[in-house]
Amino acid sequence: MSHAIEISGLKYRAGSFELKDVDLHVPTGSIYGFLGPNGSGKTTTMRLVLGLLRPLGGRISVLGDRMPEDAPRILARVGYVPEQPHLDATLTVRELMTFQAAFYPTWDRAFAEDLVKRFELDDHRVFGRLSKGQKAKLMILLALAQRGDLLVLDEPTDGLDPVVRRDILTALLEYVAERKATIFISSHLVHELERFCDWVAVMDDGRLVTEVPMEKLKLGTKRLVVSGAPATPGATPFVILSRDPAPPNGASERWIVGQWEPAMSSYFQGVGASLVDVIDLDLEDGFVELLRSFRTSRG
Amino acid sequence: MFRVILYGQWKWSRLIVVVGTIAAFALPIISVQGATGGDASPLHAQELLRAVQSWGTLYPVLAATLGLLVAIATWAADHRGRHVHALTLPVPRWRYVLLRFGAGTTLLAAPILAVLVGALLATATATIPSGLQGYPVALALRFAVAVLVAFAIFFAISAGTARTAGIILGTMAALVVVQVLASLANIPINLVDVLQLVVLNWPGPLAVFTGRWMLVDV
Repeated sequence: MSHAIEISGLKYRAGSFELKDVDLHVPTGSIYGFLGPNGSGKTTTMRLVLGLLRPLGGRISVLGDRMPEDAPRILARVGYVPEQPHLDATLTVRELMTFQAAFYPTWDRAFAEDLVKRFELDDHRVFGRLSKGQKAKLMILLALAQRGDLLVLDEPTDGLDPVVRRDILTALLEYVAERKATIFISSHLVHELERFCDWVAVMDDGRLVTEVPMEKLKLGTKRLVVSGAPATPGATPFVILSRDPAPPNGASERWIVGQWEPAMSSYFQGVGASLVDVIDLDLEDGFVELLRSFRTSRG
Repeated sequence: MFRVILYGQWKWSRLIVVVGTIAAFALPIISVQGATGGDASPLHAQELLRAVQSWGTLYPVLAATLGLLVAIATWAADHRGRHVHALTLPVPRWRYVLLRFGAGTTLLAAPILAVLVGALLATATATIPSGLQGYPVALALRFAVAVLVAFAIFFAISAGTARTAGIILGTMAALVVVQVLASLANIPINLVDVLQLVVLNWPGPLAVFTGRWMLVDV
């Protein structure tokens, strides 16, 4: 499997915040969701990927080239939408499109015009006077019309209404389907990522908690209702993320597990317990449990 | 690329450039207005030289002001966007800086040309007493150098972060403190004089701003 982004042993420090030995592998052609609480290091990692920050250690490879050494060559193939609007507030939509087109030889004028119409943007309005949703749409337009092979999107739909979010996500999905491009997207909206990402990584406190295919995370994270569970579970074929203590009335206890597969239910027979129920968790529950487990394991 | 950078900078600094160009055009004309219709006597020549010299102090002020304001306007949009847009463009950083510098210099060509045209017009229409001579091209060239020196210095300073500005201001403050302490301790050093000599005297970087800026001289 080739990777659009490959990060190994990435180190970075700014004040009291630190990225510690982050390894990340974004498969080419995937939609890769990047999750984590505020301040976990998502934006910093993205900025390092784009060469906006200089790493203290480690290696970053983007589209086969080294970052930051080959930054201009890489950036010619990358569309970026930052968390905060970064464009010149005094230029109009049309002027910003002209500006961007001058820097990207692959700029697709017809596609840009099509997106202006689809997003219902007033091309004579200055960027500073656009609504939040229109700003987000314009930034997506500029990133898409560059016809890059990789889109790095830092919470592009954060704070937007559902209609605008849907417009943006639809445009992104169409682009990926047509161009076979890679999307590296961070978001707080876990349910949104759940719908369309095929890989997901979770960051917490500058460390990578996990990096798995979305299906594996969704299907492998379960709430198990266990009766007669042993006090010490010993070696389990799955990962126990959390375990609610057994209630005093002798009712079944609940385990949250990762990397679960149906065949693993035989484990419980082996330890004299019985598996009463297996409950699916959505990504948000899985995400919360993963973080809880990660933080507990770190003390 | 240069065209779009230039357009953006024009949009942010057009008021500065237009006002500066009008002032640059008017200054040489106003400075010799006493010579229009006057006689060619030695008395009149002295008056004219006094007027030209007096108005001449405004050229370096105008040059420094234009350099400062255009340099600030050059980086203003990038500072507001925390340079994210600029740094994610697929061009080497040095090239982006050169594009910005080139665009600023191009915009400053307007007031420089205005001084040249104004000075040529002023010397052509004025009655210059015998023994005196107009130097419109030399004045315009000197103005051009002064504008570009001011722009280059302020461009470099305003390209930096708040930390860079802090370092520059801190260095200046430290110099003043050392000078005050030296004076209190009766140590015979004068850092301000030394600095002035180095910076303002030829071949110091700001030497162009000093001396007499005479459109008409002997």
